[in-house]
Amino acid sequence: MVSLKYDENNRTHRMLRTLLIVVASLAVFLVLWWVVTTVMHDKNFPPPDKVFKALWNLICNGDPIGGHTLWEYIRTSLTTFLYGFALALVVAVPLGLLLGYVKPLREFTAPWIEVVRPIAPIAWAPIFVLSFGSKLGPALVVFIGIFFPLLTNIIFGVQRIDKNWLDASKTLGAGQGTLFVKVVLPATVPYILNGVKVGLGVGWMCIVAAEIYNKFGGIGQYLVDMVNNGLMENAFAAIIIIAVLGLLTTGIAEYVSKWVSRRMGMDA
Amino acid sequence: MSKSEMVVNGEKYDAKDRVRADRTDKLYEHIPEGEPLVRIENLNVTYRTDEKVTLAVDNISFDIKKGELISIVGPSGCGKSTILRCISGLLQPTSGTIMIGDNKCTTAGSDRGMVFQDFALFPWRSVRKNIEFGLEVAGVPKEERRERSERYLKAMGLQDFADARIHELSGGMKQRVGIARAMIMHPAVILMDEPFGALDAQTRNILQESLVNVLKNSSRTIVFVTHSVDEALFLSDRILVLSKRPATVHKIIDVPGDRPRDRTAPEYAQLRSEILSYLHSQNTMFD
Repeated sequence: MVSLKYDENNRTHRMLRTLLIVVASLAVFLVLWWVVTTVMHDKNFPPPDKVFKALWNLICNGDPIGGHTLWEYIRTSLTTFLYGFALALVVAVPLGLLLGYVKPLREFTAPWIEVVRPIAPIAWAPIFVLSFGSKLGPALVVFIGIFFPLLTNIIFGVQRIDKNWLDASKTLGAGQGTLFVKVVLPATVPYILNGVKVGLGVGWMCIVAAEIYNKFGGIGQYLVDMVNNGLMENAFAAIIIIAVLGLLTTGIAEYVSKWVSRRMGMDA
Repeated sequence: MSKSEMVVNGEKYDAKDRVRADRTDKLYEHIPEGEPLVRIENLNVTYRTDEKVTLAVDNISFDIKKGELISIVGPSGCGKSTILRCISGLLQPTSGTIMIGDNKCTTAGSDRGMVFQDFALFPWRSVRKNIEFGLEVAGVPKEERRERSERYLKAMGLQDFADARIHELSGGMKQRVGIARAMIMHPAVILMDEPFGALDAQTRNILQESLVNVLKNSSRTIVFVTHSVDEALFLSDRILVLSKRPATVHKIIDVPGDRPRDRTAPEYAQLRSEILSYLHSQNTMFD
């Protein structure tokens, strides 16, 4: 007879357990959603069945007003997102390593960072879209969103480097340049990846907000269009898509970050 | 003279010179075994904090002879490691000079290799890549690096762990890597800062024997900081006994007998109790 007893040491059992919890959790969520919207009976808050029908329709037939396909919206958003992300990576990684490593430079720039960092990235959206257009503007908002968590993580990582590693390298003949490339950079990789993970989450929040100011393209703009036309089922369908894509990006980042840190022997 | 240059026997070597980088012992071939290779003169170290100035090392002078293993023992916190860090160039003494041959040591360099108590290995590199680090920095070609690291992997009993990651190794294995990484560079002098201090007693004994074995085949100059008088007696040609902080040289003891030694021999018991009773008298815990 097949035993139904849960075994903590069995990998399949553990995975099944996690799956069961997730499915149950989502099911309860859907029921709550349905109950609340039914009780409210407000057409601005459609029940799940209507939203999923609109989502299915969007996937199969595209935008009911503009005639664009769902893929076109997603592609626009993802492209903008990738540009912002790439720019943040290119700027924050060398800058973070430098600021982490050179104390006077870090102290000098700290006031700038501390003044700009607390500003919600979304606050830049109307200014950036106005000044740089609806392609570059949102990408720059994403850049701001990813840049600061990434930068601060890297600076923190460089400062956390085991001083013994630096000492050991010096007694093995390493000069400042070698030290930077062969020790500081690899030692900071887990912190860079952690910064990426945090940054992607913030960046994804920014993209949708920035696209609200867009004239065309992007899932954020689709969301606003639908609200403006009173098509709330479609608006909520867009929110589900935003949620799933955000989950995917941070999920992938989390996985990559863990995998690389483990490979590098620094997952402690 | 720029700090990347050094003059030995009237010849200039610069940092790009391979002789300087990964075979610095060759620079001192003119000094015979048993003659002073490193001279520490009037070394003073004071630590300053906002509240007070602490004298850690008080005007210490001694020689390190070529080819010897000299241990530094002293009461806890007396400044043993401070002296070692000064020799390595990782710490600037408040005053005093450290000379290797005719060269004044100012900054850290590959002519003074170091083995750390907590290993200080690079977790993102394999065992082999850790051992090859210095050679890589010196620009030694890959094939030669391989060949040389292979020899040290074998000498330290690490041949089956060449591609292992550091976190997969036991503490004893880690320190074997640390020793190989320092030795492969053939530095003029190897500084060991309580290298076996983090290991259990059995592993410690095994590593001490490994070190003795390696030294049988390859003459090295080693400064060995330790808490353990037994370890010092088992390994050293000479033992430098320091007083409590601020450290001064109490005594330099010549340890008789060729290595490997019998740990239980009576002449060591005599020396052991002599040193231990001095260290006990210097123990600041009872002040």
